[in-house]
Amino acid sequence: MLSVRQLSIDIDGKSIVRNSSFSVPLGKITSIIGESGSGKSMTVSALLGILPPGAKATGQALFNGKNLLTVSDKEMTEIRKIHLFTIFQDAANSFNPSVKMRHQLYEFSGRKMGDTIEEFRVKMEGILDDLGLASEIMEQYPFELSGGMLQRCMIACALYMEPTLLIADEPTSALDMVLQKEFIGLLKRLNEQHGTTILLITHDLDIVAEAAHDMVVMRHGEVVETGSVAEVFDCPKHPYTKLLLDSRF
Amino acid sequence: MTVKWIGKRMMMGIIVLLIVSFLSFFIMHAAPGDPAAAFYGGNAQTLNAAEKERISRVFSLDRPVIAQYGTWLAETVKGNLGVSYKEGRPVSTILMERLPNTLLLFGVTLFFISIGSIWLGTTAGMKEGSLWDKGLSTVSIVTSSIPAFWLGILFISFFAVKLGVLPSSGTGDIGGEGGFVDKLRYLFMPAAVIILTHVGIYARFLQESIKVESRNYYVTVARANGVAEQVIRKGILRNASIPYLNYIGMTIPSFVGGSIIVESLFSWSGLGQLTVKAVVTKDFPLLMGGILLTGLIVVVSLFVIDLITYSLNPRLRKGDVR
Ligand SMILES: Nc1ncnc2c1ncn2[C@@H]1O[C@H](COP(=O)(O)OP(=O)(O)OP(=O)(O)O)[C@@H](O)[C@H]1O
Ligand SMILES: [Mg+2]
Repeated sequence: MLSVRQLSIDIDGKSIVRNSSFSVPLGKITSIIGESGSGKSMTVSALLGILPPGAKATGQALFNGKNLLTVSDKEMTEIRKIHLFTIFQDAANSFNPSVKMRHQLYEFSGRKMGDTIEEFRVKMEGILDDLGLASEIMEQYPFELSGGMLQRCMIACALYMEPTLLIADEPTSALDMVLQKEFIGLLKRLNEQHGTTILLITHDLDIVAEAAHDMVVMRHGEVVETGSVAEVFDCPKHPYTKLLLDSRF
Repeated sequence: MTVKWIGKRMMMGIIVLLIVSFLSFFIMHAAPGDPAAAFYGGNAQTLNAAEKERISRVFSLDRPVIAQYGTWLAETVKGNLGVSYKEGRPVSTILMERLPNTLLLFGVTLFFISIGSIWLGTTAGMKEGSLWDKGLSTVSIVTSSIPAFWLGILFISFFAVKLGVLPSSGTGDIGGEGGFVDKLRYLFMPAAVIILTHVGIYARFLQESIKVESRNYYVTVARANGVAEQVIRKGILRNASIPYLNYIGMTIPSFVGGSIIVESLFSWSGLGQLTVKAVVTKDFPLLMGGILLTGLIVVVSLFVIDLITYSLNPRLRKGDVR
């Protein structure tokens, strides 16, 4: 599905990520774990083509046979629109504060699939209801909703889109424990019921243990270990992974 | 909520007008020169002390300034702005003759400044680092530091004196049919001067707020998820226009002040030129009327701008101050 080879990212000559290689197999939840500043978000930015100005990515990131690092702008727009969906860390700031949710949810989902407003309304209300959100939120503004509600709105769009690959960058770090558990449950459901491939970024081992099939450990901009969650938890090879696992108990 | 908000704004506007009129009244009375003498104009030096005193008594000029202001205010509220010392006609009649010209100049310049600055500012702001972006930053500094009166004189010497294609001053041909096209010929230079000296700086302000807005998290999120580019831009422009409108509001008083100078330079027969004349001739009732009406134009413009901001910003509407 997604195969990253020798990915390196430099910002203004400073090396942020070095020779990182990992893959995200079809239909699985793969988790990238690493401490703050280890380059997780930068890796995602490179995949999505949204690196900050002055940043350069080299290597390969094959997604359905296309190298995400070198595709044309037009192809990238198409991939972002149809095949990928990304939930970002800061849900509270993920929506335009002065536009009603209905318009924004439509632009994030129905519009991209060519659905009419009416088709969108029916389908989205069903999804929202499923997620425990009243359909009234469609008529509200982002600042009237809580962080947890906004995060669920994002996942509602993902459920609507059923993307080929869902990327979630620390989707739960802004949520409290209860919402965190609930959110992870939703991701698992999306994976099990719809077969959606998920790349889940986190720095929380509990979440990895709870949700992921495969894991990638990052440290100081390098991938130090990859493998299935069971394997890595049973016999970690890299000293840093061992340290991580030890500190968990 | 909305009704309460509008009521509050109107109250504020009235308070502003009161303060402006009060201050002008006092400054006027503190200025050197005798209003009684001013009333007589050119023949003032022939008046003796007793006659001056008599005039002062008849016109209540010997009463305390605060009492005079009170009387003026009471009459003004009733719609009576008094009679011009110089022309002997009601002030309101004179003001109404001048108002359309000022509104025309104000409306036309503000319209083209808005259109021009929105177009330039958006083009430059949406393409950070482009030639447009850098070009506007430079050009706006140059154009906004050109004094309007200097550009005006340059225009007059070029278009009126050298080429002879445009009239140098006035609002219409004396012998002409007084039609609209004729008026436009006269409007062209004063309007062009005001527009050229203002459009750059307003565009620059919008450009900067668009650039700031574009760096927001939600923009990256929308872009990364393939939301249509024109939808993203519409959202950015909407939010960026709020500080831009605030800026227009903040600069409206000095904008109107600048128009007064341009009106005088081109003898555009509007309120500004009238007010300047009233200062020179110490025509107090006319001066107060001119100031009050100019103040009213400013207050109404600010109200309209506030109204647009209010409709663009749901947080204000919902009374949310998070
Ligand atoms: N715009 C930028 N310019 C220069 N360096 C940056 C920029 N953004 C991030 N970095 C650097 O890149 C490195 C990796 O950052 P990144 O955001 O990918 O970390 P992360 O693993 O996502 O951390 P976190 O868990 O805190 O989100 C950090 O050392 C950071 O200082
Ligand atoms: Mg991060």
